[in-house]
Amino acid sequence: MEREAAAETAAVQGADPHPTHHPMKLTLHVWRQKTRTAPGEMVTYPLDGISPEQSFLEMLDHLNETLIRRGEEPVAFDHDCREGICGSCALMINGLAHGPERGTASCQLHMRSFRDGDHVYVEPWRAAAFPVVKDLATDRSAFDRIIAAGGFVGVNTGGAPDGNALPIAKVDQDRAMDAAACIGCGACVAACPNASAMLFVAAKVSHLAQLPQGQPERRERAQAMVGQHDREGFGHCTNINECQAACPKEISVEHIAQLNRDYVTSTVSAVVKG
Amino acid sequence: MSSAAGPRHPKGPPRIEPTGRALPYLSALLDSSVGAKLVVALTGLGLVLFTAFHLVGNLKVFQGPAAINGYAYFLTHDLGILIWVARAGLLGLFALHVFLALRLHSRTAAARPVPYRYHATVRASAASRSMVLSGVVVGLFVLFHLAHYTFGAVKGAEVEPGRVVNYLDLKYRMPSGVEVHDVYSMVVAGFTTPWVVALYAAAQVVLFVHLLHGVQSSFQTLGLKNRRFAPAIRALGFLVAFGILAGNLLIVFGVLAGWAPPIHKSA
Repeated sequence: MEREAAAETAAVQGADPHPTHHPMKLTLHVWRQKTRTAPGEMVTYPLDGISPEQSFLEMLDHLNETLIRRGEEPVAFDHDCREGICGSCALMINGLAHGPERGTASCQLHMRSFRDGDHVYVEPWRAAAFPVVKDLATDRSAFDRIIAAGGFVGVNTGGAPDGNALPIAKVDQDRAMDAAACIGCGACVAACPNASAMLFVAAKVSHLAQLPQGQPERRERAQAMVGQHDREGFGHCTNINECQAACPKEISVEHIAQLNRDYVTSTVSAVVKG
Repeated sequence: MSSAAGPRHPKGPPRIEPTGRALPYLSALLDSSVGAKLVVALTGLGLVLFTAFHLVGNLKVFQGPAAINGYAYFLTHDLGILIWVARAGLLGLFALHVFLALRLHSRTAAARPVPYRYHATVRASAASRSMVLSGVVVGLFVLFHLAHYTFGAVKGAEVEPGRVVNYLDLKYRMPSGVEVHDVYSMVVAGFTTPWVVALYAAAQVVLFVHLLHGVQSSFQTLGLKNRRFAPAIRALGFLVAFGILAGNLLIVFGVLAGWAPPIHKSA
């Protein structure tokens, strides 16, 4: 009790409320690449004064401030909301997409997941379809083109329809919502040994396949999105399930089974109906 | 697939509109990564079914020479033209499975031109990551197996001390009086040779690893796996893989252990 009270007082006074959380020292190995075409390399940066409370991106900010003070070019990396919902951050940390914690994006990964003195390797997503723009930032517009190929529904303009006009079973709603949680960060591609984006494609196909709004375009959707996926240069899915483990939204590979079902049924329907 | 080499267009690869003609349309569907995978899964399951029947037939070796030689005679003579239909079908399954899987693999090899400096995996099993390797080993073993027992190209059988007869020249007189090819002596001669036993046993283990991922993965590819039945399908995959491993090893080591009567009595 006494210690808690002391910690509270310390917090009020602005001191560290957890005196056990000493600043950490890490050795960072970061991929540096000046342009799309320039050859890149891993550069080692020892960094100290890292708080375990910092997020991984805050730690990179910390590194960049140090680099700027030294007159060096800061490390470029993608980020936006920093609260795990935008899908901008994309870092391969020690060979794991978004780092060692499950169900988190890089921005929600905190430095307490690492130990003082650790070596941390930070690389961009690696895929032919995700070319490196600079350092850790990659061009993920291939995902936009996959969505444009079929990940949409047609809706009427005008007043918003009544929310309860179209009954949807709870189980379907839940499944659609699970798939719709995809933030399009590309961790599935980064983690996949085949650099396949099948989990991303499947999340959108399965999301719209569960809902009545998704039905009109359903027959062409799986084929169009898979076709665009292949043309972008992603690999094929071998059901390794590494994507599911890497996904910050923990999207299940059962949606890939749904995509495959839709692909089979649309192909059969194309043969039967013409 | 866009090629990994060369500059990428900033707007990405061009869209290809579906064609109205039947054959190009279907071939485009089956050429996609999902379509080709479906064919690999279906042909793979077909090959698993064949392997299971092959095992059941071969277990007749423990019933003695009359049973297995009669069965072999039934397959190659009584079935008539049907055996060639079955062989052509098997060859087709095998060729499609190997060709499409290797083509998918070679295309996918271009999907990550720059590898990671730091490798880690969380969930992927070793079996799932080595499908191409295990598949190639099994494929090469199948070729050896055909050369060994079907074409008789590997080694003759020692019917009496000092007298070696080629596998295909071994004859057996059925109780009905018909002289048939002596499959029994051939199997016993093969599996009493240590290096053959070692090779077959090793190949069966590789096949087990291949099927461990392959069977359940086929269900996922065909869209037949879901949350409720996923554990059941994993168990089925394991049972099929393990059953084939156990049955085949039983033949190899059973003959080695002398559970089938030795060759000299029947030759």
